[in-house]
Amino acid sequence: MKQILFIALFFTLLFTSCSQENKKELHISTNSWIGYAPLFYAKEKGYLDKLNIELITNISLAEAANIYDIGKAEIVTTTQHEYYSLKNSGHDIIPVILLDRSNGGDMVLSNKNINTLIHAKKIYAYLEIDSINAEILQDFLKRYNISEKKMVFINKDQSQIESLQPQDDKNMLVVTYVPYNIKLKKSGFKELASTKKMSTIMVIDALCTNESTLKNNKERLHQLKAVIDRSIQELQADKRASYNLVKRYLENMSYGDYIDSLELIKWINKPSQKLLKRIEPMGYEAKQLIQ
Amino acid sequence: MKNISIKLFTIIVMLMLLTSGGYLFYKFYADSKNVTESLLEENIQVNLLNMKYFLDKNLKENNIDQLVAYLDNRVHSNSIIDDIHILDNNKKLLYATDRDDYALHKGIQCLPISKIINSDIFQQECYSFSVKLFDDLTPYYYQTNIYLNRAYLDSLLKDKIIKYLTLFIVNFFILMVILWITINKLIVNPLEQLRQFAYYSTKVPKQFLIQELESIRYSLDLTFKRLKEEQKELFNLSTKDPLSGLYNRLSLVEKINWLISKSKRSDAQFALLFLDLDNFKNINDSRGHEFGDKVLQHVSQVLISSVRDNDIVSRLGGDEFVIVLPDIEDNDAILEVIHRIREALNIPVVFDNYKYHVTCSIGITIYPKDGRDVTELLKNSDIAMYKSKDLGKNNFHFFTERLNDEIQEKIKIQRVMVSALEEGNFKLFYQPKVDIVSNKIVGCEGLIRLIDPIVGLIPPDRFIHIAEENNFIIPLGEWIIEEGARQLKTWESTPLKDLKLSINVSGVQFKDSNLLSTLENAISTIDKNKFEIELTESVLMTDFDEKLEIIDKFKALGLRLSLDDFGTGYSSLSYLKKIPFDTLKIDKSFIDDLENTKDQSFVNMIVTIADELNLEVVAEGVENKKQLKYLKSMKCEQYQGYLCSRPLPANEFESLFLERECP
Repeated sequence: MKQILFIALFFTLLFTSCSQENKKELHISTNSWIGYAPLFYAKEKGYLDKLNIELITNISLAEAANIYDIGKAEIVTTTQHEYYSLKNSGHDIIPVILLDRSNGGDMVLSNKNINTLIHAKKIYAYLEIDSINAEILQDFLKRYNISEKKMVFINKDQSQIESLQPQDDKNMLVVTYVPYNIKLKKSGFKELASTKKMSTIMVIDALCTNESTLKNNKERLHQLKAVIDRSIQELQADKRASYNLVKRYLENMSYGDYIDSLELIKWINKPSQKLLKRIEPMGYEAKQLIQ
Repeated sequence: MKNISIKLFTIIVMLMLLTSGGYLFYKFYADSKNVTESLLEENIQVNLLNMKYFLDKNLKENNIDQLVAYLDNRVHSNSIIDDIHILDNNKKLLYATDRDDYALHKGIQCLPISKIINSDIFQQECYSFSVKLFDDLTPYYYQTNIYLNRAYLDSLLKDKIIKYLTLFIVNFFILMVILWITINKLIVNPLEQLRQFAYYSTKVPKQFLIQELESIRYSLDLTFKRLKEEQKELFNLSTKDPLSGLYNRLSLVEKINWLISKSKRSDAQFALLFLDLDNFKNINDSRGHEFGDKVLQHVSQVLISSVRDNDIVSRLGGDEFVIVLPDIEDNDAILEVIHRIREALNIPVVFDNYKYHVTCSIGITIYPKDGRDVTELLKNSDIAMYKSKDLGKNNFHFFTERLNDEIQEKIKIQRVMVSALEEGNFKLFYQPKVDIVSNKIVGCEGLIRLIDPIVGLIPPDRFIHIAEENNFIIPLGEWIIEEGARQLKTWESTPLKDLKLSINVSGVQFKDSNLLSTLENAISTIDKNKFEIELTESVLMTDFDEKLEIIDKFKALGLRLSLDDFGTGYSSLSYLKKIPFDTLKIDKSFIDDLENTKDQSFVNMIVTIADELNLEVVAEGVENKKQLKYLKSMKCEQYQGYLCSRPLPANEFESLFLERECP
């Protein structure tokens, strides 16, 4: 009789203990940036599903940061701008996986040449103020010694900026990035500077998370890093195939634009020591990064 | 292993169910709470996201007044949000929805909205997010605090707790009650009924719903029924006679003992009828045992139908039956029963086309007069029954003390005879046969005498008929033959060598298949012509043809034959015709009244017949000279009687022969 009771108790405990929660879903808040193509690729290939990681795509990085800010996502793709903004607003945010650095992907366009702008009394700058655009513009103004006082800053989303048309009676500066640059260039804006040539600024794209998520999902984040590495490798190995998978995340850009866009970034998922050393003062500490 | 009751087991199971049920309900509640929490979080997140987006786009330094309407609306349209505070980068309150009492939330710590997922919304009072503003390209931050409507959230949680707790308790209580009642009704009670049934095997439980229990109930019922049948069969086997269905001896003894106890208390008397079928052995021998069994069954039915319901009818064995009639006040009731039995038996029965008349002899004893215990009553009724058989069968006889004395005497004589033969207490005495003309002893008759060392001489009329009844006459007869032959042999070398010796042979001895060989062996060394067999007419009266065959063989052996007690029977002359006798012995009854002319004529006639048939003639029982004179005048050849001598032992007889002549 005792054995029967013990068996019954055992099964009762087993039954009750079986109902533990599954591995909790993680969310990555991101936007349509060519540098985040490995995430889109991994999503389409099902690599993220296996890790129970979901993508939340947004129009801009600012929105992506907002999603992270209100706690709808545990991981967010950032440039150093969003990283600093979130950190300054009180988040214990940590960069954990390096993705790419902009190598021409962020740029300053204008309807005028640089000399006209240097001598202009008033310049209208179109940008997402709460984005890396601001850092790029500041670096550009500093480089060409253009005072901020003659600047009129117009804060717009890139989707709005994309529709701008050059106006001859205005000195217009547009800070944008791939793929929004394509349409702007087609509209007549010329590139004055880009991250390819701007040696004083480096735009780093990375996945950031908070300490709690890092602590509780260390293993999964390492697996995510491995997935990203694999995706970058596969993405480079068969660009046509990767294009077909990720194009809908990149506003359905053409294959040619896709290839061109890839040229405007450099993958830093496997960073050199030199790079790590350079970005460490920017808050990207090597010991925190998953390599 | 220590066992537990089903009730205790049920309680344990119920406790386990309570535990697991409680856990399940807790999980259900927790899941439900989590879902609610998720929905609330979602709601808050979406609201805050919209608000943050709105503020990001619209909030400028010193334009808060333009946003008041929007913010108020957000709070009033959302039951989760109780209040919103917006603080500038110097922590100065720019906006509060509840502007009358904005200090209400003082001291409340606000959790960054990004941590909402890991927080317990039902414990949290405030979430915050920052709104980024720019001075040209330089950012600065305002803080927005969202205070939750605790009363609303608490009511949600409280409602859930009450709802789930009520649901759980009521459901569990109902379930437990149903379970308890069901187990009691369907398992515990049936098991208790089965236990009682198995223990007492009296009331058969009604059909059970549970198949396994029903199967046990059915099997038990079946087994008990079979056991009862077997018990009944065993009881019948032990108490009833299988052939007749009547009580057997064991049962009869038990019932009589019970009746004796009862009668002792009530001073009542009862009768015991011992009934034995007449000549039943002949039926078995001639028609077979199967036929005999049918007769016994028929008699059993007759007896059963002839007695009252409370009378006891039993078969002791063979053709012996006992009927006990309780509460008998007088002999009339007994005679009435006997009358009914005899009347019913009087109707012939036909089995296998063979008609058979059943008669029986009945011995009757009355308790307590004729016996105070079973053994005595049975013994005495048996005695009475034998007496009725002696009286000619198809009769009945009440037991009496005289009858008892007779039986006791018979038993005593039987015992004495058996030991006498073993111990040599039987003696052959010799009574001389005297030639009437020469007065010389010419022969003798060997007569058996029993001389018991304790009782003394026992005359033949006390034991011969008993020896004949129980066939003891056969070994005794053999001894007489051998002793007579031995004596003749002894006398061969003495002056008595010419004497003839006669011995008596009983009718019973003819049943002895060894009779002829015994005779042949005995006379093998003597002169056979001197050895004579005396046969009485009574011997010849039954089974004459069979006996004649044997008698012829006697003759063939060379023996002499003598017809004893001649004249007393009905067919004396016919015997003389059929049997080659050598001697006629005139019965003593004729000699006793020889002075009577009528008897003289008879004797004279017998002597004449013997003379005519060339037979020797011997007159028996001659006791005086007058009788001898008559006999002499009738030319009777020999006499035998006390005139010469009583029967004498061999040595005295020899002396008589040698020392003197008889008159």
